[in-house]
Amino acid sequence: MSTATLVHVVVSGLATGSIYALMALALVIIYNATRTLNFAQGDMLMVSTFAGWAAHRAWELPLIVTMLVAVAAAALLALVIERVIIRRSIAATHWDVLIITVGLSLMLRSAAGLVWTHEDQAFPSFFGDRPITLGPVKLAPVSLGIIGGSLALMLCLYGLFTHTRVGRAMRAVAQNQRGARLMGISVERVYSLSWVLAAAVGAIAGVLVAPVTFLSTKMGIVVINGFTAAVIGGFGSMPGAVAGGMLLGVIENLAPLYLPSGIRYSVPFLILVAILLVRPAGLFGRIEQRKV
Amino acid sequence: MKAALEIEDVSVYYGKRRALERVSVRVGEGEIVTLLGANGAGKSTVLRAVSGLVRPTGGRIVYAGRDITRWPADAIVAAGIGHVPEGRDIFPEFTVLDNLLVGGHTVARRELAGRLESAFELFPLLRERRRQPAGTLSGGEQQMLAMGRALVARPRLLLLDEPSLGLAPMLTREIFRVIRRINQSGVSVLLVEQNARRALGVAHRGYVLETGRLVVSGASRDLLEDQRVQTAYLGLRPPTEGAREGG
Repeated sequence: MSTATLVHVVVSGLATGSIYALMALALVIIYNATRTLNFAQGDMLMVSTFAGWAAHRAWELPLIVTMLVAVAAAALLALVIERVIIRRSIAATHWDVLIITVGLSLMLRSAAGLVWTHEDQAFPSFFGDRPITLGPVKLAPVSLGIIGGSLALMLCLYGLFTHTRVGRAMRAVAQNQRGARLMGISVERVYSLSWVLAAAVGAIAGVLVAPVTFLSTKMGIVVINGFTAAVIGGFGSMPGAVAGGMLLGVIENLAPLYLPSGIRYSVPFLILVAILLVRPAGLFGRIEQRKV
Repeated sequence: MKAALEIEDVSVYYGKRRALERVSVRVGEGEIVTLLGANGAGKSTVLRAVSGLVRPTGGRIVYAGRDITRWPADAIVAAGIGHVPEGRDIFPEFTVLDNLLVGGHTVARRELAGRLESAFELFPLLRERRRQPAGTLSGGEQQMLAMGRALVARPRLLLLDEPSLGLAPMLTREIFRVIRRINQSGVSVLLVEQNARRALGVAHRGYVLETGRLVVSGASRDLLEDQRVQTAYLGLRPPTEGAREGG
């Protein structure tokens, strides 16, 4: 196989991986603040992308505004879900809340089908179709666009979590909720904010990926890959989520070159099992030590 | 004396279990008041009720003239009550500096640098360790960090829960020296402490709790002389026996 093909496959793998990484980050942001695993994260991505698409069709919005509409829809959806449903089940076990989010995920999927359509829809892209040629290597602009856009978003998140008061408060809540309360942090506000932020990250991922995968009520299934990526990276670690996503995307794209092409959809789980055997806490994870 | 804090007839239940029954405690402006009692007597619960971590089922808590009984914890901190809990609740993955910065969550940005400086002044060791992850500090250093972190918000009233727990005698002395200094700068202190002799040594007044009820209260001087306090918390035997054994 030529190097050119390899580079091409790796780059599209990184593009896929970027989306997984964003999904993983969204899951980790909510998990760190609330210890809830939000199984509906993928379907929230799907609904907000649909909302952007609907606005785009109705008012012929420029794409950047479409993305903002998707983000705003995501934020609103997350706020309502968190305040109306999740906040009320605050005393329930994490397992109960997980089941609630599974239910939410099914509801969102059906609702999107009823309101919009179950048919796949084309989604406008920020990027052209003409491949970019670098010597013998041909790269799809959309792959580079997804990678670039995702990296930019990750940098923003990094800045938010390390250099702002609110980001520091969110990380404080992740480490010790009672301690955070005693510092004057409203833990409830951090819950809401985490849901909104995670949903916004998902919406941007959705708008980036929809031109490639098409807009569909089934696109929420990416939550599985995001979850796998987060576990590979060490659940709770944000750098881990990014590394896990990228790794997953690249291997998933490389595997069919060497192995029967049907293997592609088993790859995430094979990697997951392999990594957990070697490093049970994931790449960047720590074994959680709970004090009694 | 004007009251910094008035706890009036406060009862607290954890589920069905009674933790506090109609407890009243008063902390005057600029006073150090200590709560004594055995493990499980409800001392920490008093502090938790004040800082909003647990909700009283009855009674009220008045701070600086305002009824804060139902306020959320974050509003209580913002109003000027600092709580250094038992176990310290530091953020282990953050550096010492980041811990202090979180302590300044409610502080205006332009004042933050000065507040950090005064925390470093009180605990010079924290300045040396400021880049170190807090989880790697020793117990005594973590206690200093927890106190320094609470002081960044410049509370008017400081709740201290077992500040000397598990510390070597020298560190304990250091912590108590700082408590006195903090108090001299005008901060009222409500102190929970296992080491009754030390607590009464620093406090102006004290209260003794037994299974969620107040049994004795008074000036530290008087409590040190009180027979019940002596037998139960100061490790002295009743005078008859003591006299016989020449103690």
